[in-house]
Amino acid sequence: MTDLDLSRVWLVDPGRGREGPAELVVRRGVIRAIRWLRGPEAEGIDDRGIVVAPAFVDLHAHLREPGNEAAETIASGLLAAAHGGFGWVGAMPNTTPAVDTPGSLELLDRRVLDAGQDLPPGEGTPGVLAWGAVTVSRAGEQLAPLAELAGAGVVGFSEDGAPVRSAAILRSALAYAGMLGLPIVDHPEDHGLTEGAEANEGLVATVLGLKGWPAAGEVAAVARDIAILEDVVRDVPAARLHLTHLSVAGSFELVRAARARGLPVTCDVTPHHLALSDEWLAGARRWAWEALDEAGRRRDPWVDGALVAEPYDTATKVNPPLRSPEDARACRMALRDGTADAIATDHAPHAAIDKAVEFGLAANGITGIETALGVVLAAVDAGELTLARAIALLTVGPRRVLGSSLGPDRIGVGQLAELVVFDRSTTWQVSPGTLRSLGKNSPLLGRALAGRVLLVLHLGRVAYQDGGGAER
Amino acid sequence: MSAGSAIDLPTWRHRHLLDVDRLTWPELETLMAVADRFATATADPATKLDVLRGVNVTILFYEASTRTRVSFEIAAKKLGADVVSVTATGSSVTKGESLIDTVRTLEATGTRMLVMRHATSGAPYLVPAIFGGNVINGGDGWHAHPTQALLDLYTLREALPAPVGSEAGSKAGPGAEAAWSLRGRKVAIVGDLLHSRVARSNLWTLTAAGADVWACGPSTLLRGFEAWAATGAGGRHFTATSDVDAAIRDADAVMTLRIQKERMAGGLLPSLREYAATYGITRERLRGAKPDVLVMHPGPMNEGVEIAPDVAEGPGSLITSQVHNGIAIRMAVLALLDAAGPVA
Ligand SMILES: [Zn+2]
Repeated sequence: MTDLDLSRVWLVDPGRGREGPAELVVRRGVIRAIRWLRGPEAEGIDDRGIVVAPAFVDLHAHLREPGNEAAETIASGLLAAAHGGFGWVGAMPNTTPAVDTPGSLELLDRRVLDAGQDLPPGEGTPGVLAWGAVTVSRAGEQLAPLAELAGAGVVGFSEDGAPVRSAAILRSALAYAGMLGLPIVDHPEDHGLTEGAEANEGLVATVLGLKGWPAAGEVAAVARDIAILEDVVRDVPAARLHLTHLSVAGSFELVRAARARGLPVTCDVTPHHLALSDEWLAGARRWAWEALDEAGRRRDPWVDGALVAEPYDTATKVNPPLRSPEDARACRMALRDGTADAIATDHAPHAAIDKAVEFGLAANGITGIETALGVVLAAVDAGELTLARAIALLTVGPRRVLGSSLGPDRIGVGQLAELVVFDRSTTWQVSPGTLRSLGKNSPLLGRALAGRVLLVLHLGRVAYQDGGGAER
Repeated sequence: MSAGSAIDLPTWRHRHLLDVDRLTWPELETLMAVADRFATATADPATKLDVLRGVNVTILFYEASTRTRVSFEIAAKKLGADVVSVTATGSSVTKGESLIDTVRTLEATGTRMLVMRHATSGAPYLVPAIFGGNVINGGDGWHAHPTQALLDLYTLREALPAPVGSEAGSKAGPGAEAAWSLRGRKVAIVGDLLHSRVARSNLWTLTAAGADVWACGPSTLLRGFEAWAATGAGGRHFTATSDVDAAIRDADAVMTLRIQKERMAGGLLPSLREYAATYGITRERLRGAKPDVLVMHPGPMNEGVEIAPDVAEGPGSLITSQVHNGIAIRMAVLALLDAAGPVA
């Protein structure tokens, strides 16, 4: 197993709310010593160099296998996750067939084992957290065997890719999953308002002639979900609702109010919704916070020279769509003030053939598990999030949403090492060659991102180790 | 009969015409000046030039449109090009041949200029990356219809040659051309803005020409344009309103847009009858406009719905000129893009 001496690093332990210069000793995969450095020993170590933190946890990724191995396989998805700094990956059940029985879960487990099989001793893959489908075949009609799935080890249930369509099914699912101590993860979307929609309703969609995707298409669904949860928790206090990839200001207002009433609702935000905006569809490539002026008003990319790429890049097509810069600001606000609990990638790889088509016909999704850290660090560099908060949103935040046993929340002596080491002072180039995911559908291709991941340890084994200069 | 290649073309920096949003006013003037020369050179209908001799032009239409397709065909033939028209119906889509495959096949079989019509906004933007020739957007979804906007501008230039305030003077001579603009002119675009590529493209060109542009339609068909007008994206200022009388008041020209029956299914309009009664352009309604108001329509028309028959055929109607001018403008576009050259 792994031996490692991390000296003179910036250690972030969000479980303890502590960060600072430190050294860490790992022997045979187990953390043997942690020493926080002070005084002259700490000199010259800051949070802009080598950072050590708990390995990240992604609540929301699509590994595509079985059914769409041209887009991603479990093995390639795990490589991508490790490259992104993740130790645990939440796999959404919208594969073909869907993960709706204990049997379909076995296939997933077997593939994870296969992916780690031929690795040398001391190496491994990130772990998979399986979400089960809420309904049989994700058809929305009959509850899947939730208790059996829970027994087989799922961490909760989701219809992701689509909302839980029927309000009645959602009500039952919240109650039933609550009884099992597991959350329901909803993708909040009111299809009546989003049918055929192509781009966030607003200026960009109007100018580009794309069918608008109204904010109400999300907010109305969030309101419905919270109303149903409020109803269910009266009888089933253990019921829990997690709203994934919230993207508009109105959604956070509802969640904030629901939490103030004590409702057990949590939510996450994707890196692309906090840092990108709909002007990317028109050809802008600046961060969402750069799209607002000092007074917080939207800049006009048609006059200020921000349109540097061709419009209609299908890599920018995603569900929910890239929203306005003001919505992206609301996402960051929610992440700062605790309304949002986690950053989740919604890693959605696609085969080239599903993206090399007309914008309106292109598949929705961004391949994002490898670029998450770089995008979040861009927000940190811009002063939009502190480093400690950003790391908490990638570690203890998602752990608390899961509310389950991924091991202790704090870094401690005697634990199997679950760590990521990255270098904020070096960048890497996002390109089809550097992305491990089979899905190359990233709007960030061609961009240099900070925070090169050097090492990921998962349960004491090396899940990723930087190979040197190949990424530049 | 051939007039030889006596037409000297100005420099042109765009290899493709996908949209009109980034065309500068001098570029629009250049296009119209070149169109003038082609109009003169081919005044005799039998005349064929050899500007595009040996050039294969393919007109690839994924959406039915006789008018635009035929206009491009005639323009390309008058320039001496070899023209092939491909109408890709729904069947080739269901067969799974992608747009990219189709374009690659066309290039391999010799296509050097591609005119494309597609029901999906942005579709022609897929092409430049995989095609070595020139691409002309013949209309994409709700997004853009560049040659329609150019021919509309060209038609207004012909119909309103004198600057505002000098109507009493003689018709502008060739020397006045450079100074022509729509400054001081009010142009109302009335109808279904939401689904209209014609309206979007005209917003860019008419504002570039300095016109006071009013976009007008029922609120359901104007969605998003109020915000566009308020923010003035691209520094293009116009007015959006659902008040048709305000839009038409003192207008120099009224551009009507086609209303499609399908829009009622989406709950956007109660009925065509109600639309005709509230937004249809009639003589009565035009009384608020300038006395010699001009009326335009990109076709095909629903007479009695968005436009009354007596208006379409009335004295101010430019509808026939629009069709006629489409040929010279498309000749200018084809010739200039060809002169800009293939991929370096
Ligand atoms: Zn989703």
